[in-house]
Amino acid sequence: MGIHGIDLVIVIAYLVAIPIFGVYFKKYVKTEEDYFLAGKMLPWWVISMSIIGTNIGAYDYMGAAGGAYRFGIAQANYEWIGAIPAMVLAALLFVPYYWKAGVYTVPEFLGKRYNTAVRVIEAILWGAFLACVLGVFFWASGLMLNEYLGIPVEFSLMITALIVGIYTITGGLAAVAMTDVVQLLVMFIGGVALTVLGLWTAGGWSGLVEAITPANPDHFKLFLPLSNPTYPWLGMIFGLALVLSPAWWCCHQAIIQRTLGARSEWDAKAGMLFAAFPKMLIPILVVLPGLLALALNPGLAGADMDKAFPWLIKNLLPAGLAGLVFAAFMAALISSVDSTLNSAATLWTRDIYQRFFKKDAPDRHYLKVGRILTLVFVIWAIAFAPVTKAFPGIYVAMQTLLSIFQGPTFAITLLGIYWKRANQWGGLGGLLGGVAISSSMFFVTKASFLYIAWWSFLGSILITIIVSLLTKPDPIEKLEGLVYGLVMKDENLQDILKKRAEGEE
Amino acid sequence: MTEWLEGLPLFLGKYIAALFFIGMIVWAWFRPRKYIYEGAPDKKGWRDLRIWATVFLGIQVVLYVIF
Repeated sequence: MGIHGIDLVIVIAYLVAIPIFGVYFKKYVKTEEDYFLAGKMLPWWVISMSIIGTNIGAYDYMGAAGGAYRFGIAQANYEWIGAIPAMVLAALLFVPYYWKAGVYTVPEFLGKRYNTAVRVIEAILWGAFLACVLGVFFWASGLMLNEYLGIPVEFSLMITALIVGIYTITGGLAAVAMTDVVQLLVMFIGGVALTVLGLWTAGGWSGLVEAITPANPDHFKLFLPLSNPTYPWLGMIFGLALVLSPAWWCCHQAIIQRTLGARSEWDAKAGMLFAAFPKMLIPILVVLPGLLALALNPGLAGADMDKAFPWLIKNLLPAGLAGLVFAAFMAALISSVDSTLNSAATLWTRDIYQRFFKKDAPDRHYLKVGRILTLVFVIWAIAFAPVTKAFPGIYVAMQTLLSIFQGPTFAITLLGIYWKRANQWGGLGGLLGGVAISSSMFFVTKASFLYIAWWSFLGSILITIIVSLLTKPDPIEKLEGLVYGLVMKDENLQDILKKRAEGEE
Repeated sequence: MTEWLEGLPLFLGKYIAALFFIGMIVWAWFRPRKYIYEGAPDKKGWRDLRIWATVFLGIQVVLYVIF
């Protein structure tokens, strides 16, 4: 990829400005809560933008544009039906209970609601997943800097580590969330510039449709026939919209952690809900470029279809704008890396170190451990990044592992919040039974992950209900503030929850 | 079973999706007002998150009906 002087200035200015801005928030970090939950001071609009910054990575640009090139706007299902309803559900049902419970992580909530075994299983799964994802993100970042600036990959990894590590280690969640806000703005400015220029070149929306439809009649349909192996419409509704998407938006540590740092319960809910607004616009940044590339160059085939986005940057953008779009690309990557780093450190500190190694240490001790673990994860990511190149199957394997757990995790979390009769044995049985169902479906039937998610979710729900009804109910005191009906009806419980959230209990 | 499923018309997906979004809107409006405003500094109309949910999900209905 060629680079002009002005592009280089824009990219370097961006890469220097982000850590400087992030380090500014170091002065607000005095306690563990300041570090992991931004001192519970985040307003709703910061939460919204940080959630989407975390959610959209550079892989989305490449993968989604490639998907749109192959299958058309059906790719947007992942941003629309595969996100918006789940975000509404998360905002109006899950988030208030997480926030009120005063927890730092989703496994911690499940541990309170069910038992330690559920917490440990979930923590180990998420801890391993986030650590693995970090290596993949770092490698992608190294490759991008290498391709665009011509820096050797190993040195590019160090630059990424330096940029992200400086402000994530010092400023914690506050620095991560505030830099995410800036990065989302950069993403939108760069993405919209590319799309507008592309549409203008393609002759507007009608020109785009006319260029694509004759050879690809289904490219402007959101639902594709059931014979389509990637986007069957029934799988999109039952697997994606009803299970995988709520599992992601309601139970993903890196997504939920921003809402736990909200300054009030309303800000937590509004932050998650308002994130649906930028989320709805994401197809303009990642799906439309794929269609534009198809209209302007229908000759890409096979794996080259995934290069639709870089092709557009290379062939469409003038000097200056190319730097801006590359900065947007880096922003997408960095805003995901910093959040993953912070969430991995939170999870390992709270659910593993604090639970199993040192229980009642002073607050500053956990702050120190959090910072050390963040540094450890930076070093780990640098070391692990080249491994992901040698074994590309690692990332796919981790994604598969996560999808095996997602249906059951969502099932027990949903029942945990909505049904007070769900008890610790039901939760554990539902989790393990659901994983057994999804594992056997994956290894024996080789079914699509969309259908695996649906059936493992249903199985997990059934097992949780049956085991709970066959065993002794949990005492009501244990459920206070964690289950829907209990919080809504009892004023005394509201006081207990308020005190708990304020750290008085 | 698979053959029967594959025989389902594609437009059925649009109706199911639209019903799903409308169902979510209805569900949101069943959340009590007090619950929605919990923790809000005031009770101004724009803070009613049920309205936000209706707007976002309403846009989805339009998108899925058109495309």
